[in-house]
Amino acid sequence: MEKPIPIGTTVVMERTGETMEEMYVNMGPQHPSTHGVLRLMLKLDGEYIIDCIPYIGYLHRCHEKIGENRNYTQIIPYTDRLDYLASMSMNFGYVLAVERLMGQKIPERAEYMRVILAELQRIASHLIWLGTFGLDLGNFTIFMYCFREREMVLDLFESVTGQRLNYSFYRIGGMPMDFPDTFLTDCQAFLAWFKPRLPEYDAIMTDNILFQKRVQGVGISPPQVAVEYGLSGPMLRACGIKWDLRRNEPYSIYDRFEFDIPVFDTCDVWARYMVRRREMEESVKIVEQALAQLPPGEVMAKMPKTIKPPAGQIYSRAESPRGEIGFYIVSDGSPKPYRYKVRSPAYVNLSALPEMLKGCLVADCVAVLGSVDIVLGEVDR
Amino acid sequence: MTLKLGIFYFLAAFTVWASAVVVLGKNIVRSAVALIFGFCGMAALYVLLDAEFLAAVQVLIYVGGITILLLFAIMLTSRIGSTTARVVNDQVILSAIAAIGLLVGLIYASTSGIPAMSGPPRLPETAPFLGRALLTTYALPFEAVSVLLLAAMVGAIVLARKD
Amino acid sequence: MMIFATLVERFYAALAAWGIPWIVPTLVVMVIVVSVVLAYISVAAMFMIWWERKISAHIQVRYGPMRVGGWHGWAQSIADGIKLLLKEDLIPTGADKVVFVLAPMVVFGATVAAYVTIPWAPGLIVRDLNIGILYMVSISSLVVVGIIMAGWSSNNKYATLGALRSAAQAVSYEVPLVLSLLGPVMIAGTMSMGKLVEAQSGRWFGVLPGWFVFPQIVAFLTYFTCALAECNRLPFDIPEAESELVAGFHVEYSGMRFAMFFLAEYANMFVVSAIATTLFLGGWHGPWIPLPGLPREVAHGLFGLVWFQVKCYFLIFVMMWLRWTLARLRVDQLMGFAWKVLLPISFANLIVTGLVLILGKHALLYVGGIAILLLVAILLAARPAARTVRVGERT
Repeated sequence: MEKPIPIGTTVVMERTGETMEEMYVNMGPQHPSTHGVLRLMLKLDGEYIIDCIPYIGYLHRCHEKIGENRNYTQIIPYTDRLDYLASMSMNFGYVLAVERLMGQKIPERAEYMRVILAELQRIASHLIWLGTFGLDLGNFTIFMYCFREREMVLDLFESVTGQRLNYSFYRIGGMPMDFPDTFLTDCQAFLAWFKPRLPEYDAIMTDNILFQKRVQGVGISPPQVAVEYGLSGPMLRACGIKWDLRRNEPYSIYDRFEFDIPVFDTCDVWARYMVRRREMEESVKIVEQALAQLPPGEVMAKMPKTIKPPAGQIYSRAESPRGEIGFYIVSDGSPKPYRYKVRSPAYVNLSALPEMLKGCLVADCVAVLGSVDIVLGEVDR
Repeated sequence: MTLKLGIFYFLAAFTVWASAVVVLGKNIVRSAVALIFGFCGMAALYVLLDAEFLAAVQVLIYVGGITILLLFAIMLTSRIGSTTARVVNDQVILSAIAAIGLLVGLIYASTSGIPAMSGPPRLPETAPFLGRALLTTYALPFEAVSVLLLAAMVGAIVLARKD
Repeated sequence: MMIFATLVERFYAALAAWGIPWIVPTLVVMVIVVSVVLAYISVAAMFMIWWERKISAHIQVRYGPMRVGGWHGWAQSIADGIKLLLKEDLIPTGADKVVFVLAPMVVFGATVAAYVTIPWAPGLIVRDLNIGILYMVSISSLVVVGIIMAGWSSNNKYATLGALRSAAQAVSYEVPLVLSLLGPVMIAGTMSMGKLVEAQSGRWFGVLPGWFVFPQIVAFLTYFTCALAECNRLPFDIPEAESELVAGFHVEYSGMRFAMFFLAEYANMFVVSAIATTLFLGGWHGPWIPLPGLPREVAHGLFGLVWFQVKCYFLIFVMMWLRWTLARLRVDQLMGFAWKVLLPISFANLIVTGLVLILGKHALLYVGGIAILLLVAILLAARPAARTVRVGERT
């Protein structure tokens, strides 16, 4: 247990080695706005942030090492726990990597199922982000609205997988079972309910002048910084860079759908907000198209009892709600990976936080951190 | 009348105690807090003198404005919790002479009596009279004070701007 | 009108007839009045807490408290109060104990003291000071002192930051607040709360009630904005922003001391609403009919009491509504808003009011009308702008 540093104490900054007399504020790991157990050391000059050091690792659980001691199928439930707000996308990214390593084709219907579930998951994940982001800015009501809609998505997932958070529903080679009979109508009912809700969010957030004042021009990450830090997902698209793996490097069947990649170039919290806000619309479009095209047939390819990919290595990436989720797998031909590495988007995005925070006010810290949309399960692994 | 006198002595003692804490206190924030109580005591004394307007202004300006700014400034400077201010400095003899002189003057005034101290005229409302006096009889001093404040403000802005 | 004054006088006379010194009935009356006010504050604050929970719940598609006490959880606040009373009384080790203990008392005391000049109904006012409104404003400015004491004495950085913000906010918003109150005071020519209400008894052009809100709409809106800041309500709840400063100045407080802050916050909401009602919304004025079996004065008083409460609670409702709809402003934006927007507006209002008062009373409503038109124009101009702002989109 560390002792709190009294105000005005001379502290040596671990990273830069300089001494200072500025006020130090330790934010987290038990702070309501750090979205989990993240600890930020803020170096303040009055209310202005001069520097910030994120301390991570409170949720570290040796994900990659565990992966090396499990067979390929057993890893799937562990990937759930990476980004527990978007388990489907994590499963998707992982099974994609193994299938690519094996050169495995999967049935058409399973591809559609994967896309539908992943895009619904993207909506759910962005909803929870929108809600907590509103909470960070002091708007409690949007939180409740978003959770209402997220519950409906979770109900859909429950009807398909029996789970509400950690689904482990994707398998190497397809899906374990088909949609239940009611799913199609339920999903269409949800989309019909959800589409008119988006203008409601606009009324309470997007069009609110107070909200705009809070997020515009705050937490700037110039495109160059974004690229240098390797940001991905909405964080990158908010810097005016049109990069979405679903479009630039189409995996699964994403090349069959019509959808836009929302891009904003103001590089601030507002741009990140708007990108995610628009992405929900695009996800709805994708789900609608996929539901319309959903072909009948098998959902699982013929797979061997034990999955043994040929010796070799692969880096495979997919677009999770938070950005590029990459899996690097080295196989030696045995049922267990020789090396298993995860490139998690939130971890990389978080690394640019000090850049974005410099010169901001303490109050903006929460907004900027919220706009990064971190999930600590994925940051710490 | 005795009750009023009792209240006066109580308030006076309270104000003197608070002021003593302001001057003698070692912790600067505690001094500032005591200053608030001192100002409130003064305001209560004004009420006793039927000068309610003055009392309210005293609380509004001195407590609500000046002391809060004072506390603000103290908190913004670092090392608030640990520091203990020095109570006595090099000017102790000078200030002692001034204080004793003031005490003598006050004692002389209260024993020999000053005409103005005979009971004030009872006015139903003091505020209109104050306002009228400030804008007619004492217009020039009033304006002079505003110019002084303006100068102080300009000075503060010049000091605060860093470039 | 003077029913209560008459009662008190009779009480004095009765005791004087028995040869009891006058100090005794004075003290008795004081104690009774203070108890009534305190009881009202506690009950009203508890009601407001429950009410706010229900309002927020219904705004957020929830139910809110439903269990305690049966009907819509009406006893929730009582249960919470008992819980807070029974809690352990904690004082942090590094805290400045004297100041820490004193702080909630200062906050609560300042809030309660402001109830002295609230004109509840015709003749029903604890003390109609001739500087009533000034007294209320200056007494409520003491709340900030308590907040700073709490923040500093807790020896907690979040609390200190909260106190700092609170001080900055209070100093900034006190100025336009007092200036906006000067408009009605100038029209009525008095600072006494009772006389301010009486000055609003007429009608504008025989149609509109003679409330000062019509000629002084700008001042009213300025005042209400500043009042939100004064109460630390959203969008100005920066001193206690839970997502940034955890809970701000009262983060180290628990149990009864926390409850005192909480009660004072709601009591303060009522005070600022009461000021707005008295100065702008005609106080206890409202339609009334003589009740059968009651003297006219009593009936008028009862109706006045009800009208005053209705207006106050309407304003409180608006405050709660805003709280659960808006996002929080940032510190520098808050300061900028106070100094760059509200202060010039209230000065302009003051100048216009003064001019109109000198030029003639009938011009009052023209100015009010122009102000309303301007305001509507601004709102209309701002609304589509807000809708179309999609800065930086590049699909």
